Amino acid sequence: MTTVVTSQESLREIEALLYLEASHLDKPNLDRWIELFTEDGTYWMPAIPEQEDPHNHISLFYDDRIIMEVRRRNFVHPAAASKDYTVRASHIISNIQVQALDDVSGNCTVTSNFHCYVFYHDKQTPYAGTYTHELVRVDDTYKIKSKRVDLINCDATLGTIIIYI
Amino acid sequence: MSYSEEDIAALVQPTKVHRNVYTDPEVFDLEMDRIWKNSWIYIGHDSQVAEPGDYMTLNYGKYPVVMVRDNDSKVHVLHNRCGHKGAKVVDRPCGKNPAFRCCYHGWRYRLDGKLLGVPHLPGYEDTGFDKNDPQYSMQKLARYDSVRGFVFASMNPDAPDLRTWMGGAADVMDNLCDRAPEGEVEAAGGVLRYEHDCNWKMFIENLNDTMHPMIVHRSVVESAMDYIKTLPEDSPRRDEAEIIPPFGASYENFEESGITGFAHGHHYDGGKTSIHADYTLDPEYEAAMLKAYGKERMLDILSFNTHNTLYYPSLTIKSAVQNIRVVRPIAYNKTIIETWSFRLKGAPDSMLRRTLLYSRLINSNGSMVGPDDLTAYIRMQEGLKSQANDWVEMHRNFGRDEDLGDRVVGKGTSDLDMRTQYGAWREYMTGSVA
Repeated sequence: MTTVVTSQESLREIEALLYLEASHLDKPNLDRWIELFTEDGTYWMPAIPEQEDPHNHISLFYDDRIIMEVRRRNFVHPAAASKDYTVRASHIISNIQVQALDDVSGNCTVTSNFHCYVFYHDKQTPYAGTYTHELVRVDDTYKIKSKRVDLINCDATLGTIIIYI
Repeated sequence: MSYSEEDIAALVQPTKVHRNVYTDPEVFDLEMDRIWKNSWIYIGHDSQVAEPGDYMTLNYGKYPVVMVRDNDSKVHVLHNRCGHKGAKVVDRPCGKNPAFRCCYHGWRYRLDGKLLGVPHLPGYEDTGFDKNDPQYSMQKLARYDSVRGFVFASMNPDAPDLRTWMGGAADVMDNLCDRAPEGEVEAAGGVLRYEHDCNWKMFIENLNDTMHPMIVHRSVVESAMDYIKTLPEDSPRRDEAEIIPPFGASYENFEESGITGFAHGHHYDGGKTSIHADYTLDPEYEAAMLKAYGKERMLDILSFNTHNTLYYPSLTIKSAVQNIRVVRPIAYNKTIIETWSFRLKGAPDSMLRRTLLYSRLINSNGSMVGPDDLTAYIRMQEGLKSQANDWVEMHRNFGRDEDLGDRVVGKGTSDLDMRTQYGAWREYMTGSVA
């Protein structure tokens, strides 16, 4: 795949958004994280490599804003036993490539590789894979229209994934 | 310790079970030997091996097996072990081949497991080796059979016939398939495999434990309701808003749903009603059902509303949702739970999408329901290390369940499901099973 050449300025802005988003998940702070998405924004973690769509095959996650809003509340709900434990994460994002760019609107599709460790319930779990972000210009800034998370072991037996990766 | 027959029998009392059934690796090994080898274990659905040569691999208890369709379209369940040095012959989760061939010395097998060829055979002449001796084939499991496409196998040659073994619990499997306008279902939309750090029985004992949802799932129900309140009244209907809130149903609601238990440990919750009873009926689906069955029969099928049905020990199904969960024990404190979804043949695509939505929303590793259940199991696995009390109690409604001969019925909040399972556990473990 040929990546699109972008100005250093645009690339810096895109990188900054990906890093900011990751930093909200590192804490995790879902209130701030959700604000980075458009109203029709989605978060998708397929259950198989190259999964074509989230509706006709099972996924590990497929949240629109409504489910994100429920999850945000549930994450801090005092009665959620699975959330009794500290959750901390650390994301490293690299190999950022702009795969498609609309010169007029600035809307773009960006892929990146990530390594993420999640500490939860006395256990540290590594996750790795590729992000695909669809970013759109809203009021002179970028918002996330969709984030797709392809884990390299998405079709393996996995434990609880307690937080968005 | 080593268990005598008396020790094993004493682990289960009418209203309590000893903690060792969850925490002792030796009990686990005995269970794999006595329950899993003597019961019927769910293998897969025959739609997963739709054409000759299609296979899927899995573990039956501790043992590697493969389900395969042969050239006569018959489905077999074979030990996945080369007759030569014992290598697993096939190791992909699923695939297709005209015959099996071992990766090591190239021994080849027919799709029904019979040894076809051994390279450089003359070396075996006059050695006593007989190519036709079944021990050199990929051996068939002692028994395999299917009900409405759901394939089970048993290592016990004397196991009762599959439908007899299911007893009245077979009604739910029939209902699942009858919900298809064409009367058949097929596996669709893939699988989720979720590692549970707990004993396998904790998972199946939770299925029809109706005293836990309002506690364990209160957070997701309240979070959903809290958010729904902020939405405008004329917001479009969402399946999620029908799926999540019933997990917070009252004790009285669950009590009314009733539990029905059968021989061999099977049971279901619901019948007249369940937490799935109030789902909106898709008009296109209703039309297809009406055309296929007529009104009376359609209403008959759709009003049989169960929650979870357990075919002890390995399979649990949701007929009203069309998904199943399969129990694959690994160790006394480790179990893999698989979630599979099914398409109702002849139904609109929206029905499969709802099933997949349910599987993702409730059963996925990333869901807001399953992880809370799992947390409770993990805490039991930890807490039962305590020697404060050797027993786990199951008294609720003891003595008030009603024995109807071929089944026992009780209130939906009864521990009847626990007592049904442990009745079967004791029978399998002590060899007194009918």
